[in-house]
Formats: sequence, C-alpha cells, structure tokens
Amino acid sequence: MNSTRRAALAGIAAVGGASLAGCLGGRATDSAGRSTEESGGGSPPPTVDDGYHIAYEADGLVSESLDGGVGKDGIPSVDEPAFRPIEEADSPSNEPVFGVVRGGEAKAYPRRILSHHEIVNDEVGGEPVAVTYCPLTGTAQGFHRGDTTFGVSGRLVNSNLIMYDRATDSWWPQMLATGIDGPMTGETLDEFSVAWTTAGEWAARHPDSLLMTEETGYVRRYDSDPYGSYAPLSGYYSRDGTRFPPLASPEEGHAKSVVVGARTAAGAVAFDGATLRSERVLTGTVGEGGAAVVAVADPALSTGHVYRNPDGVAVDPDGDGYRVGDEGGFAAADLPLERLLAFDAMWFAWYGFYPDTAFVGEHTGAGDGR
Amino acid sequence: MAAETAAPAESARAWLVGSVRRTAFAVRAALGRRDGRATAAAVAAAYLVAYHLGLGHLGVRAGAVASAPRFDLVVVEGPVALATRRVAPFQYEPVALLSAGPVEYLFAPVNAVVGLALAALVGVTLAVSVVAWRGPAACRIGAGAGAAAGLPGVLSGVACCGPAFLAVIGVQASAGLLAAFRWFLPASVAGLLLTLLWVGSRVDPAAAR
Repeated sequence: MNSTRRAALAGIAAVGGASLAGCLGGRATDSAGRSTEESGGGSPPPTVDDGYHIAYEADGLVSESLDGGVGKDGIPSVDEPAFRPIEEADSPSNEPVFGVVRGGEAKAYPRRILSHHEIVNDEVGGEPVAVTYCPLTGTAQGFHRGDTTFGVSGRLVNSNLIMYDRATDSWWPQMLATGIDGPMTGETLDEFSVAWTTAGEWAARHPDSLLMTEETGYVRRYDSDPYGSYAPLSGYYSRDGTRFPPLASPEEGHAKSVVVGARTAAGAVAFDGATLRSERVLTGTVGEGGAAVVAVADPALSTGHVYRNPDGVAVDPDGDGYRVGDEGGFAAADLPLERLLAFDAMWFAWYGFYPDTAFVGEHTGAGDGR
Repeated sequence: MAAETAAPAESARAWLVGSVRRTAFAVRAALGRRDGRATAAAVAAAYLVAYHLGLGHLGVRAGAVASAPRFDLVVVEGPVALATRRVAPFQYEPVALLSAGPVEYLFAPVNAVVGLALAALVGVTLAVSVVAWRGPAACRIGAGAGAAAGLPGVLSGVACCGPAFLAVIGVQASAGLLAAFRWFLPASVAGLLLTLLWVGSRVDPAAAR
C-alpha cells in the first residue's frame, strides 16, 4: 500500500509547512540532464540481435527530439504497482486496459492510470518487465527490463515517448524499441506483445487476471485524462492534428485513426484497425522484398495479430477462430505461422516513424470504437 | 569625476526607494478601504482557482464511479520527501487528493504557495489600480491601468500548462515555444512587480492625505 487515507486536514497542513522549507532544493529533474542520479543501477536492459527497420539515423532522431514540457521523470514511472483480482474491481467493463500474459500469469493495466505514468516497472510470471504507454501516439508496448528499470526522459520524438533506462541512461523511443542516444545506441530492446483491450473483454478471457490499482505511490486525478477521452472519443484522441511536429505526414488518412503495425528488419506494414476487425483477415507485404504477411482480428479482445506467410497459405475465419490451409480451429493469437510483434498505433505516428510503410485496408476515422 | 558617476546611481536609488515607499503606501491605502479589500480578495480568489485549474490540480472528476465516496482524502506515503519533487518548470508533486462529490483537488504544497503568492500579487495590484481609479485626483492613473495591471497575472496563469494551452488554441508546439514557456512564470512575476511599482508610483501620498 503506497497511499493511506486519513480523515484530518491537520496532517496536510503539517506536511505543507514542513515541505515548503525545502522547496527550492528539490531534486534536479531537468530534461536536459543526463546524469544517472536516480539510476536504479543494475545491468543494461536485455536486447535482441535482430533489429527492426528504422527509416532515420539515430542522431537525426535525437536532433528532432523535443522537450515535452516536463522534466526527466517529471512523469513518474510506477515502480511498485499494486494489484487486485480483476473480478473484484468495480471499474466499468468498457474501461480500456493493456493486457499482458507472461509465464502463465495475466495482468491488466488500466489506460487511465498509465496515461499519468506512461511506464510501469513490474514483474509478470516472474519476469521483470516494463509495460509502457504513450498517450500521444496511442501505443502500448512491453519490454523485458532485466534488473534495471525504465523511466520517462521527458523528451519526445514524433510525439512518441522517449524512455531511458536507469542502468545506462540511454534513450529509447518507445515505438522504435531501439536506442538512439547513449551507450546503447543502435541496440534493440527485447519486446513482447501487449493487448489493448477492455477490462470486460480481458476479464472474460482471463478471469484470474490481476488489475493494477490506483495505489501507485503518487496521487493523480486518475479519472481525468489530461489529453481527452476515448469513451466518448474527444480531445486530442479525436482531432485530426498533432500536438508536436511529426517526422513525416501521410497524404491520406485521419491522424488519429488506429492501425495495427508490425515491423521487421526489412520494413514496416500497417493494417487499418477498424478494417481488420470488420474483414477479420487482411493480407499484405512488408519491406522491399515484398515478404507476405497476414493479419487476423481477435474479436474477443478487439485487437489484431500479424504473421509472416511466406508460402501464401490461405487464412480464413472459422467460427471464432481461423482456418489455416486445411486445418481449422486456430485461435487468432495461435496460428501455425511465425508471429510478428504487432501493436496498435495512431496512423500519424506510425507513418512518421515509417514513411516507407506498407498500408492495408481503408483509411477510417479517429479511434476505432474502443 | 567620482561624484559625477555616483550621482545617476544615487538618483536611481532614490527613485526606487521613493517608488517602493509610494507603492507600500498605496497598498496600505487600498487595503484600508472596503472596495480595495473586496477587489483584492475577489481577484486573488479567482486567480487561485484559475491557477489550479490551469495546472490540472482542480477539476471535476470525469466518468465518476457510483461507488466513489462522497468525501475522501488520500495522502501519499512520505509526503514531505515527495512534495519537493519537481515535475516540470515551476510545477511540483502533489501529495494529497481531496475529493468532495465530483470535485477533485490535488494538493501540491509548493504550487499552493506559488499560487497564493501570485494570487496575492495580482489581487493587490488590481486593488491599488481600482482604488486609484475611483479615488481622488492625487492618483494620476487612468481607467486602462487596471487592465494593464492584470495582464501579467493572466499571462502567468498560462505559464503553468504550456503545451496543454497550445493544444487548446490549436498551435503546434515548437522547441522555441516550449523553451519560452520555461521563462513565462518568472517573467510574469517580474511584470507584476513592475506593474505594482508603476501603479504605486503614480500615487502622491501628500495629495492623498
């Protein structure tokens, strides 16, 4: 428990008076500061050998990065999250959550809490992980973190959160999952899949899941989103514009329409999310070589998955699941094909990072009804 | 030679001391009147509310949960250490959340003091302006001075929430604009103090007696 409830205002007065004495000596959290004063130490975060396609040089991305208006760790990561069984939670069933399953354990992280913290350093199924969310690009991604933790650098590139790791202080734009500054420049983080779904859908799929609570160690107005609302769609999430300059702008499509994006070492591909859910199966190619990929919707979680399909095997809906070639009954997340890591993103953000991306589907409006 | 160079400095110092004295007199005189006190209190209260709204520390809960308690107070663990954590330029960590029905207030001690100081400055400046405007001819001040006096205060309210404000007016943030916002609040405080000195210097204590 990080918060305590007290009935008396007297405590507040005492707290205020005592803390004001040291108000000018607060911890330095300048976004330009690159010190590791708050380093959680530990070893550098785990990386993978196979990097992703990146359309820009690292130093170009650094020069395009902007101060987001808050200092380093000004948006505090949650390093000791608290949970309760999702079946005991009284949150609305349509509340957006980010679902993670690792090592047989399921956890859900409410979007409304992560929009105030952006990073949760946690353990799921015994694995140290960071579950991250950038409200301005609408991206939720998970990373293995080893024995270090990630924090919010306070800087943005292409409106996307730049994380830093507390072992080496390297900069990691979330969507790229690749170091752009510091000792780990050019390295690629070990990423895992995060499902953007709703509390009701996640609880139906994983009734034993845990749900992150508001006991984060900080107080915030968690029911109030500083950027807008997803239900109903309003504010930043519905406007056909961005708060910060994008790296590149597409000629077509609403900036805030949602795509399911996947990248390989050769290139990137984006499937329009609403089109995918209505069509259930979309096919496309990725990279210069034109490697075939197929995307399938997971209707129960209102999300999608992307697979390599080098042999062009036929994939069709089969009840709630899918038929692959002659065999049926496969779950959307479990087709007998090589799965690519895919995540939802706002179209402007995906195109900004991957202007050479392939696009599949019809361009739709802002959001996608979640 | 030395006497020649010392003269302008001495003169500036004398002017400053005189202005401060006149301003102190004007403030005392303004707050000694009922309309002055009412103006100061109303403006300061309105400013304080606007300041906290701008920070996002005060507002109405969206999507209220039916089971949410009517009144609630949540205090973080280790509030003294957390209160001085800077989250943005001139913005510090809240340590308590007070809920009263749908209204929520995040208490950040440092920002509460900054807000009170700014509110007092704006309130006093406008009180002096209003009293001088309504007062005797001894106060050489026009009707426009009131608005001019309040402008720095209004601008300082914007300083707390730069990028969010840009989003409201539909302007995309550039690096230069974001850097400028860092200096908005100290510039506003300086502007308020200069405005107060200017308004005060227009008051002639001898004639006002």
